[in-house]
Amino acid sequence: MNDPTAPIPEAVDHTDVLLVERTLAGDQHAFELLVIKYQRRIQRLISRMVRDSDLVEDIAQETFIRAYRALHQFRGDAQFYTWLYRIAVNTAKKFLLDLKRDRLVTQTALQPDGEEDETSRPGNEPTTDETPESVLAAREIAQAVNAAMEALPEDLRQAVTLREIEGLSYEDIAAAMDCPIGTVRSRIFRAREAISARVRPLLEHQSGKRW
Amino acid sequence: MTQDMSNTRELVSALADGQLRGEEFARALALIEHSEEARAHWHAYHLVGDVLRSDELAAGSARDVAFAARLRQRLQQEASMERPENAMNSVAFGADISRSEGQNRAEHPGANDASMRWKLVAGLASLATVMVVGWHLTSNDGKADGAPQLAQVAVPVQPVAVEATPAMIRDPRLDQLLAAHQQFGGTSALQMPAGFVRNATFERPAR
Repeated sequence: MNDPTAPIPEAVDHTDVLLVERTLAGDQHAFELLVIKYQRRIQRLISRMVRDSDLVEDIAQETFIRAYRALHQFRGDAQFYTWLYRIAVNTAKKFLLDLKRDRLVTQTALQPDGEEDETSRPGNEPTTDETPESVLAAREIAQAVNAAMEALPEDLRQAVTLREIEGLSYEDIAAAMDCPIGTVRSRIFRAREAISARVRPLLEHQSGKRW
Repeated sequence: MTQDMSNTRELVSALADGQLRGEEFARALALIEHSEEARAHWHAYHLVGDVLRSDELAAGSARDVAFAARLRQRLQQEASMERPENAMNSVAFGADISRSEGQNRAEHPGANDASMRWKLVAGLASLATVMVVGWHLTSNDGKADGAPQLAQVAVPVQPVAVEATPAMIRDPRLDQLLAAHQQFGGTSALQMPAGFVRNATFERPAR
């Protein structure tokens, strides 16, 4: 029911628009921030169409490269992710068509029934290269986030919930919580700090790499 | 409000929520650009948001750094070749990537591009083919006599007429008639022999 990869109808994210503008002005780092922000959703979307996790990553890479090349076409009247979502779906479909033309490709890289629908593969079905370790690592991160969330003071939990899950703006959260916008900003930041403090050691341990 | 934003990580958090404009936005961007720590927070904050929305999005998050690093290399190659606003005319919504031929060749060179010898061999082979065909045609004076040709079935069987009139002059009206009724000729449009052959001959006035 709740597809985490589907575009969410909400107000245009000004940070995304500004990052696009900076990229078009020649600042590649700005585009990298968009990549860091959306890479998980894009890879998850593609993994619903393609089983091979290496292929998923290749298609995700190609998606971002195509987006980068076509960035001047993004008009900013819709969410950046909505625009990116369509590029990802089209890129994945093109990859699948090319794979089908290639007689050497094994069917395991494709959908079991050959379908090309991003909604056709259940979300909890592992891709071909997912190992028990990677599944466990993902579970650890999810558990750490949820545990940290439960341990938050009520005002911080409420603020971050309204922001991250409900998608409210700072102004709306301030109205809902009857507090100044600055307080909202501070509460959301403190909530994130508390949660990411539990997550970041796991990430560094699992990946062995730093930004 | 500005005092609240003095904290670097809070600035990154506000940037993640689309709350910064102008100078603050530029400052936050510069921070992330130059600080590995700030970039790690940018990643962690978005990861936390993703996982809060769905546990599924925690999958593969340990590979996020490697993914971004790989893409960074590709983007640097892209940037060295072309700026994004000039790179493409149409791409996103299902259309093929319309990239310049030169760019495609630069990114995906042919397997034999590194060796000029193959290009030379291909050129010589083309030249040799043209020479062989030309020699073949000129040596036979433009007449192919080797392979059987379906179109030759009808015409050569006229020895009598040739014997009677050594200098045969074709009547132009006959040509017109044959041209107008080509479908009744000895071959069909598919160059297959018909079941019968129609011949046109000159006859002596005495007969």
